[in-house]
Amino acid sequence: MSEPHPIVLIVDDEVQIRRFLRAGFELNNFTVHESGSGGEALRSATLQPIDLVIVDLGLPDMDGSQVVERIRAWSSVPIIVLSVRNDEPQKVKLLELGADDYVVKPFGMAELLARVRVALRRQMRAASGEPTVRAGALTIDLSTRTVTLNGARLTLTPKEYRLLQVLAQHAGNVVTHQHLLKEVWGSVHVQDTHYLRIFMRKLRQKIEPEPNSPKILLTELGVGYRLAQSGEVEPAPNGAIGARAG
Amino acid sequence: MAQGVCWRSGGEPRNIGHDMFEGFSHLMRNGDWRAELYGIACTLGLVALCSAGVFLLIENDILNHGSVIYLIPVVIAAARWGIIASLVGSVAGVIASAFFFYAPIYSLRIDDPHEYLNLVLFIFVAVVTSHLALQLKRQAEISRQREIDMRDLYAFSRRLAVAFDVTDIHKAIEDHLSAVLERNVLLIANVRDASAMKHSGLAIPDAVIDAAVNAVSGYSGLDSTVTVKSDRGEIWLVRAVSPKSPEFGVVATNLGRASQDEADDMRVRVDAVLADATATLERLGVAHAISEARMRSRTDQLREALIGSVSHELRTPLASIMGAATVIAPALDGDKKLKQLIYDVRDEAERLNNDIQNLLDASRISSNGINPHTEWADPSDIINAALDRCRRRMDHHRVVTDVPADLPMIRVDPVLIQQALIQIFDNAVKYSRTGSPIVVAARAVDRDLTIRVNDQGSGLTDDEKARMWQRFSRGERHIATVSGSGLGLWIAHAFVAANGGTIEASSDGLGRGATLTIALPVDSATVSQMESDADE
Repeated sequence: MSEPHPIVLIVDDEVQIRRFLRAGFELNNFTVHESGSGGEALRSATLQPIDLVIVDLGLPDMDGSQVVERIRAWSSVPIIVLSVRNDEPQKVKLLELGADDYVVKPFGMAELLARVRVALRRQMRAASGEPTVRAGALTIDLSTRTVTLNGARLTLTPKEYRLLQVLAQHAGNVVTHQHLLKEVWGSVHVQDTHYLRIFMRKLRQKIEPEPNSPKILLTELGVGYRLAQSGEVEPAPNGAIGARAG
Repeated sequence: MAQGVCWRSGGEPRNIGHDMFEGFSHLMRNGDWRAELYGIACTLGLVALCSAGVFLLIENDILNHGSVIYLIPVVIAAARWGIIASLVGSVAGVIASAFFFYAPIYSLRIDDPHEYLNLVLFIFVAVVTSHLALQLKRQAEISRQREIDMRDLYAFSRRLAVAFDVTDIHKAIEDHLSAVLERNVLLIANVRDASAMKHSGLAIPDAVIDAAVNAVSGYSGLDSTVTVKSDRGEIWLVRAVSPKSPEFGVVATNLGRASQDEADDMRVRVDAVLADATATLERLGVAHAISEARMRSRTDQLREALIGSVSHELRTPLASIMGAATVIAPALDGDKKLKQLIYDVRDEAERLNNDIQNLLDASRISSNGINPHTEWADPSDIINAALDRCRRRMDHHRVVTDVPADLPMIRVDPVLIQQALIQIFDNAVKYSRTGSPIVVAARAVDRDLTIRVNDQGSGLTDDEKARMWQRFSRGERHIATVSGSGLGLWIAHAFVAANGGTIEASSDGLGRGATLTIALPVDSATVSQMESDADE
């Protein structure tokens, strides 16, 4: 590839974790910076260009969520959080704070790389102002507000489109229930998850080849929904291990 | 108004007549003449109204004797405005009767001495009637008040029942006392509370807080009441809720700008209400609830800390092992044997991780630490997520799903149900041949949603069926051949039960497969309503 290597900052206090992450990323043509603490990571992130941050929640000097919050205060760089706890409310909290994704330890390198690529692609699309989002046979043009499936234009109700639009704006990333409800139905309805379930079912019936085993509009149980990105509509590759396959 | 009479402090029958005089004397003392004057004015107005009617009737020769009409204002006055108004009404009625009905009419003079007897009789009847009306009124008020009391008490006990921690309980006590005393009541549970109030910007005089601190820390004794007068002239009563149980805290009651007499009076009331409240608190076992809530939050913290550190200490090395293995695997292109070894490392790490998860789940279940985060969920989402998580484990089986598109939404913790399903899938995989089918079918049956998982495996004996949901229970015939901890189905059972569901197993016998069925309640009314809700 002629593109420059993306730069990833790894923030974890465990040397062994940093070591395998470095090896895994370097084998996949990333440039790696490491930090063993939150403070060091924040300094590092301000001093040099970074394309993506991977931060562990349990850091010796501060909570990983604080690192997320403080980086988000001035930068939109993609952040992926690592945690040993598979705890949905915590995931929701971190996503609301501005994390792009959440990966539970232990995980396989391939799974992490898939998440990283999705986050980088989204960042790139946001930077280039590219108005179309593709997921499988589905194309969403955010500028003309048109949705096509296999080239044929789909008719969506305004709410269905809005739902798809919010997911497309974060294509590849999990969007929390609360965020979707707020964006589509307004802040008074942030508790009404059943609206979301009903509309998601309708939307899947219009979009998914097999609405019962969706490949485009993915559910992150207890957290939110995710619009799959073109590359990952197929099942996760063999190397992907871990609690949460895409 | 029931002012001055302590209605609230108990359920024992009391002497109504006594209450009436107590009320009367209290009224005099209180000098609450305005309400009284209003009552008298209204009564006189009623008498005048009657007189106008009577005048019309007499003028048209319809009526010539009917002083009994004046009993109407008397009874109304007794029922609504009390004894003084009704006495005034009786006197006015007598005068009006003399004026309208006794010859010479339209004059206060009465010719026939016998008529005086009539008037005396009228007064007598009026006084008796008004007294009876007054009693009725009092009784109605008492029963209304009792109803309110019962409602307050019921609300209070319900709040206590759902109180999660000590703060909830204290807030409930505070609100209950505010409702009962009809005054602004603050409950100060401990010294920290008091200092928080000092800095909270609420208009509470420092002297009150100091008195409360003394009471809370036991300097001033639990059974003494302290009266504090603030700079703004408000009087505060500070007193321990219970003379016996310091954990109930101290209440500060704002009496407003009250005279010394009023303050004394309120003090008696506060004492009575608190004595009553303490009895209630003791009856409801609040002291026990408070200490239990404290204990609970401590065990919760301990458990959380333990789970956190176990997660961290065990999973961090696992993360390194699995991570390193998955980095090495793609680099070993060509050498199949080495690659298989690396995949074994990865798979075993994953298995260990699942065992750790099971142990953590088990510890959560045995310490009642499951708090389901319920939300509306699409059953097919849950099934898909569980299948997804087990995809690699189920690779060597034929998975058949039968999930209709129009299943009702269910209100559950989807993550817990997913974990229960994973355990069931895991079980099906373990005890059936590779290549055999595993069928996952969901149905809406009556008011339940069922998820059935069927395998063509080794089946269940009656004995196994009876014991399979117990902790550490494993089938005798599998112990040597299939690894496992005997926790999985027990966890599945507990997670489903935490969501109000049931889980059952059936089997046609040894070697003929098993079917495990999860049933979860569906609230059909809510579901159909929500369909219409969500439409644009």
